[in-house]
Amino acid sequence: MDFVWDMSVIEKSIPVLLRGVALTFELWIIAFPLGLLIGFLLSLGRVARTPWINYPCIAYVEVFRNTPVLIQLIWFYYAFPIILGTQLSPVTACMMGLVLNTSAYCTEIFRSGILSIGRGQWEGGKAIGMSYATTLHRIILPQVFKQMLPAFTNRGIELAKVTSLGSVLAVQEIMYQGRLLSNAYYRPLEIFTTVAVVYFVLIYPGSYLSSRLERRLGMRD
Amino acid sequence: MQYHWDFGAVWLHKTMLLAGLIGTFRLAVVSIALGVVVGIFVAMARLSSHRWLSSPATWFTEFYRNTPPIVHFFWFFYALPIVANISLDPYWAAVIALSTQSGAFYAEVFRGGIRSIERGQWEGARAIGMKYPQIMTRIILPQATRRMVGPFVERSFELLKTTSLASTLAYADLLYQAMQVNSLTFRPLEVYSTVAFLYFVSLLTMSMLVRIGEHRLARYA
Repeated sequence: MDFVWDMSVIEKSIPVLLRGVALTFELWIIAFPLGLLIGFLLSLGRVARTPWINYPCIAYVEVFRNTPVLIQLIWFYYAFPIILGTQLSPVTACMMGLVLNTSAYCTEIFRSGILSIGRGQWEGGKAIGMSYATTLHRIILPQVFKQMLPAFTNRGIELAKVTSLGSVLAVQEIMYQGRLLSNAYYRPLEIFTTVAVVYFVLIYPGSYLSSRLERRLGMRD
Repeated sequence: MQYHWDFGAVWLHKTMLLAGLIGTFRLAVVSIALGVVVGIFVAMARLSSHRWLSSPATWFTEFYRNTPPIVHFFWFFYALPIVANISLDPYWAAVIALSTQSGAFYAEVFRGGIRSIERGQWEGARAIGMKYPQIMTRIILPQATRRMVGPFVERSFELLKTTSLASTLAYADLLYQAMQVNSLTFRPLEVYSTVAFLYFVSLLTMSMLVRIGEHRLARYA
């Protein structure tokens, strides 16, 4: 144990890491709501009885859930522009990967929530003259919203962790700044430990909240 | 969209990709095996009534649940050698990162399985004079194992996807080999699509095998 822990490197790194925190937060705050929204729309397709709506939704979900996220990000940055015909910025490509990946998982959460409500409720809604949208909005979603909450907070936590892969595309979030600093100061021990601590401090409140929620909802049933 | 797909370039380098696929599976299998060992110890520590055993184990799992895997890869590759005064090649750094991380998650799976068995079973076994190891191996584990299979498999699939991060340490896994093929052929669309497809097919085949296995298990149970 003859290494020296150099505190001054960490002090010098903090401003740079904070800039990374800002971008990580930005990625998260944009990708999460978009992922939820797309996931919700796709889940409607997923519970639809029409095969030509249902099957493409299944394929979408399965592709994003059965391939590594890193491949998805790399694909959107290096491969997708060729189909598109224009170059994408690292942040855009990363954002697309994050949004679509999150949406695939959210689809499944919404779907299992919607399916957990008995068919009788749908029929009841229809019987009193409610449209599909009204039944969904007034009857189905209010009942499943609470039970889906822990799954969504877990997704939010996963997403926060996945943003770190943006560093591979040179998206300047926390991990990227950490790699840069580590190369600049030759102090990987101090820098990567600090990076890990920063992530922990950012993510832990979320997972604490999620476990509290889970416990509370579990007790009520 | 006048793009001419050319998978010939990818086919030309099929042995490189195959080597990568083998590298990915080698990393995954070794990490799962070691992860199970780590998981058993951490789960035992967490279930222990001694605080000095259970609380470090709790922090171990919390740390891994709340920090991104890529940070673990970089920490073990660049920082651990400084602390431990050893040199690590990318393969072993990846194995340590993956097996400790999956160990933390497996521990939760094992603990959840054991705790899902009602207290009455413990009390009944104790009442007929069984000791702790006997109760565990004869009564609790046979029942709990069946409940662990699902989450265990899910975690292992996550691990297989996470192995792709080893490419950032220049370990020759499937993704890293794809990057090499890409730099030889300048065909990112074909190369990365092929690799995504290979991951997809591997994971889908395995989940199908698991489903068949579960059916068999259910029939004999």
